[in-house]
Amino acid sequence: MANGTADIAAPILQLSNLSMTFESAHVTVVALQDIGIRIGRGEFVTVVGPSGCGKSTLFNILAGLAEPDAGAEIRYHGETKRALELLGQVAFMPQRDLLLPWRRVVDNAILPLQVEGMPRAAALKRAEPLFGEFGLSGFERHYPQQLSGGMRQRVALMRTFLFERDLTLLDEPFGALDALTRSLMQRWLLEVWQKHQRTILFITHDVEEAIFLGDRVLVMTARPGRIKLVLEVPLARPRPSSMLTSPEFIALKRQVLAAIEEESVKSFQQTAAD
Amino acid sequence: MRGHVYSVAGPLGVFALWELVVRAFGVPVYVLPAPSAIAKKVVADSALMLDGLAMTLMEATVGYAVGATLALAIAIAFILWPRLERVGLPALVALNSVPVVAFAPVALLWFGSGPGSKIALVTIAVGFAVFVNAHQGLRSVDESAANLLRSFGAGPLRQMAMLRIPAALPAIMNGLRVAVVRSMIVAIVAEMLAAFKGLGATIFESTQQIDFLRAWAAIAVASAASMAWYGVVNWIDRRYVFWR
Repeated sequence: MANGTADIAAPILQLSNLSMTFESAHVTVVALQDIGIRIGRGEFVTVVGPSGCGKSTLFNILAGLAEPDAGAEIRYHGETKRALELLGQVAFMPQRDLLLPWRRVVDNAILPLQVEGMPRAAALKRAEPLFGEFGLSGFERHYPQQLSGGMRQRVALMRTFLFERDLTLLDEPFGALDALTRSLMQRWLLEVWQKHQRTILFITHDVEEAIFLGDRVLVMTARPGRIKLVLEVPLARPRPSSMLTSPEFIALKRQVLAAIEEESVKSFQQTAAD
Repeated sequence: MRGHVYSVAGPLGVFALWELVVRAFGVPVYVLPAPSAIAKKVVADSALMLDGLAMTLMEATVGYAVGATLALAIAIAFILWPRLERVGLPALVALNSVPVVAFAPVALLWFGSGPGSKIALVTIAVGFAVFVNAHQGLRSVDESAANLLRSFGAGPLRQMAMLRIPAALPAIMNGLRVAVVRSMIVAIVAEMLAAFKGLGATIFESTQQIDFLRAWAAIAVASAASMAWYGVVNWIDRRYVFWR
């Protein structure tokens, strides 16, 4: 790793040498190059980077939906795995909420439990106490089309949380929300995370969000995507929103922004040259 | 509500105009009878009409059910086993390019002049209409949604049941709607070629006997049945595929 990160005892996930190349008839695109990451149990790690830096590709690999180039090493719970073996092992929430319009809110939330073969009644019992916590009380019988964007996102998050796995991947879950809703959702997510003791890897393109939420922030480079900076966030938890204007926070933000700016310029030039 | 008013007012207006024109110009019955005359004939010949309708509807609905079921089964099988699709799809497309009516003489030869041949022809006609729509619908499912289910550990069968089939329902219903009209047309045309009973047979025989009013009465009964059936399918669609 480029940065001297404190070693985490017994990491839940370890990636090294991970690259991903897409080849088509005309072009070869290196989406990810030599990614190395260690994520400890219970950690909240955020990933920021310019658009097109391969963040989502990384998530697809971790969710078991794509196989990286040969030579990559993925260790999950200390065991070497192929990406495809991670299918069903990692809770993955894609950018779009992907709620099924023919299922009510409850039935969308319990979808992963039903996929696992749990009968509907048992799954509903399991989901019931979570509705209050996810701010969905009274909306259980609604259809997704009847909900606001923020609520839809909470249903999608609830669905992800009901799929209880040791690692949770969240791909820009609040990207489409307005600023106010987003900051409410961030604080709420931290509460849920602390209460449920999940390990979260969180993609965003919002630097403030990355620092505010994360124990560590990984900054990725433009194509080919690499880890440019690993930044510890030594801010105490729970984090009040007033922290956003504290000098420590601003200093961290400056560091991340400087790293990203360099990358965005590069990415912009690259696109212009393409 | 307003839509309902228009959809009733339109046909009523056409009938009124039709009646008016026939009466005003004294159009002879063998050219075009008045709607009121046709209605009276339907009532007068109600036993014959109901008898014919029962036969035609039986052929059309049985063929519809068999054709739709086969079509759905084949479309699902094609998605689950792409190899089967590679072999089967070109064959189906080739068969589909022949108009169903062209098979009519063969169907009569194989299944006789009774309802069997009509059911077979309706099955083919309905089958293609439903298959094309269902296959397209099952195929064009959002890849990210399929990936999400995969990430939950869902295999092809679970993905089919929990995502693909419900997501394809709007397309499948379109196919089922088109198939209603098709099944009635094919049943009636086949009956005109050779049959012992049915609205198509009645229309054909009445024209032969120069009883044009009766032919028109049978046509009216056939259209009413077709529309009612279409209405039922539409109602089911609105009720159960509410998210489209």
